[in-house]
Amino acid sequence: MTAERVDALVVGGGPAGLIAARELAARAPRRRVVVVERDPAIGAPVRCGEGVGSAGVAEFIDPVGAPWVSRRITRVIFRAPDGAEVRVAEGDVGFILDRTRFEPALAAEAAAAGAEIRVATEVTALARAAEGWLATLDSPLGEARVQARIVIAADGVEGMTARWAGLDTRVPAKDMESCAQYVVSGIDFDPDAIYLHFGNEVAPGGYAWIFPKGVGVANVGLGVVALRANGCTARAFLDRYLEREFPRGVVTGMTVGGVIVHPTIKRTVTDALIVCGDAAHMINPLSGGGIVNAMKAGRLAAHTAEEALAAGDTSAGALQRYHDAWMALLGEDHIRFHRVKEALGKLDDAFFDSLARTVNGIPPRRRTLGRIFASALVRQPSLLPVVTKYFV
Amino acid sequence: MLPARAIELAIVDLGACDACGLCLPLCPPGAITLRRDGLRIDDEACTGCRKCVAPCPVGALEMVARA
Repeated sequence: MTAERVDALVVGGGPAGLIAARELAARAPRRRVVVVERDPAIGAPVRCGEGVGSAGVAEFIDPVGAPWVSRRITRVIFRAPDGAEVRVAEGDVGFILDRTRFEPALAAEAAAAGAEIRVATEVTALARAAEGWLATLDSPLGEARVQARIVIAADGVEGMTARWAGLDTRVPAKDMESCAQYVVSGIDFDPDAIYLHFGNEVAPGGYAWIFPKGVGVANVGLGVVALRANGCTARAFLDRYLEREFPRGVVTGMTVGGVIVHPTIKRTVTDALIVCGDAAHMINPLSGGGIVNAMKAGRLAAHTAEEALAAGDTSAGALQRYHDAWMALLGEDHIRFHRVKEALGKLDDAFFDSLARTVNGIPPRRRTLGRIFASALVRQPSLLPVVTKYFV
Repeated sequence: MLPARAIELAIVDLGACDACGLCLPLCPPGAITLRRDGLRIDDEACTGCRKCVAPCPVGALEMVARA
């Protein structure tokens, strides 16, 4: 079988892969850039809470009047284990996306820039070629081979491309959030706010969220760390949460999935291959947010890939600048956030209940993260080494 | 004495599995693959370590005795 030749093969049509493809095609119109997406549609099925910060997303695509914005968010409400609510932000917080429209919008821009998008096409094997990689593709049209001078692996939590190329993307069980989410209609909550609900009964090792899709309809989900969940599944925790919070809510959709809350993999590049997004563990380990990070990594990957293609050197050494740029941009922060997460994980519900009461004693306009941490320290001096080491 | 790998292996209930792929990066030997037609576990490669079982959000994985 003859192999089709392309300059860049992007594996995965999510935010990381589509931004990588768009930026690469825009920078180098003569290059052949092909994106393959395993699912038959870009943007579906949705496996995501769909929340993003407004500044982050606007760096990549204009949100004004965009059909992919489900809801603008102006408030964040934390809920302590005992139900006490703490409002910590007012203003332009972010958006709840409609990812069934968001990714197609990114894909349209990538295609307009010159990239080719192929859906229902999965990579089933990867082998080193004289230059780059030889990928075996499977689609309803049959099997095909593509020889790519460079591969950008943006294939998500479940991605195996980087592993096939010899990189270690395994996740320790303590750093995997098992998530379940329902789309729930007919419920009463503040439609301009996102709610984050903490507690060992609610979501051990993670949190529950309510992300408004509109008035009376929201993504209601949670993530748990299985090691702390006493044999209960994420879905069982979600059923319990829904029964307690919204017993009359109507469930119109369900999704499950993993969120990797582990720092970036040690090596995100090898010869002629760059890993970005969830596949490289680029999710914020404290918040579990990964969409904007994935797009930032996709852009860095495109820049490095184009430099390497233009110079005719796609060796791991030449691609290392991508890894270094990512670590300087966010990767080093994530190492610190991961340590904070581990320290917070050792605290019990009573700590968060009392912290919520203390923070509610601070006037809303003065509730900065620094003051919240200061209050936390008064309650729990054992946090001091963590805070001084990573925040001061 | 048989090695530990010979005692148990993970199996998937494809009726319950939502094909989210969470279990793939948890599998030390990379014995799990996710294709368009669903999740597969390579019996030969599975070491019986159980790391995939509890984290499954819908409880679709379980251990069984090797035949």
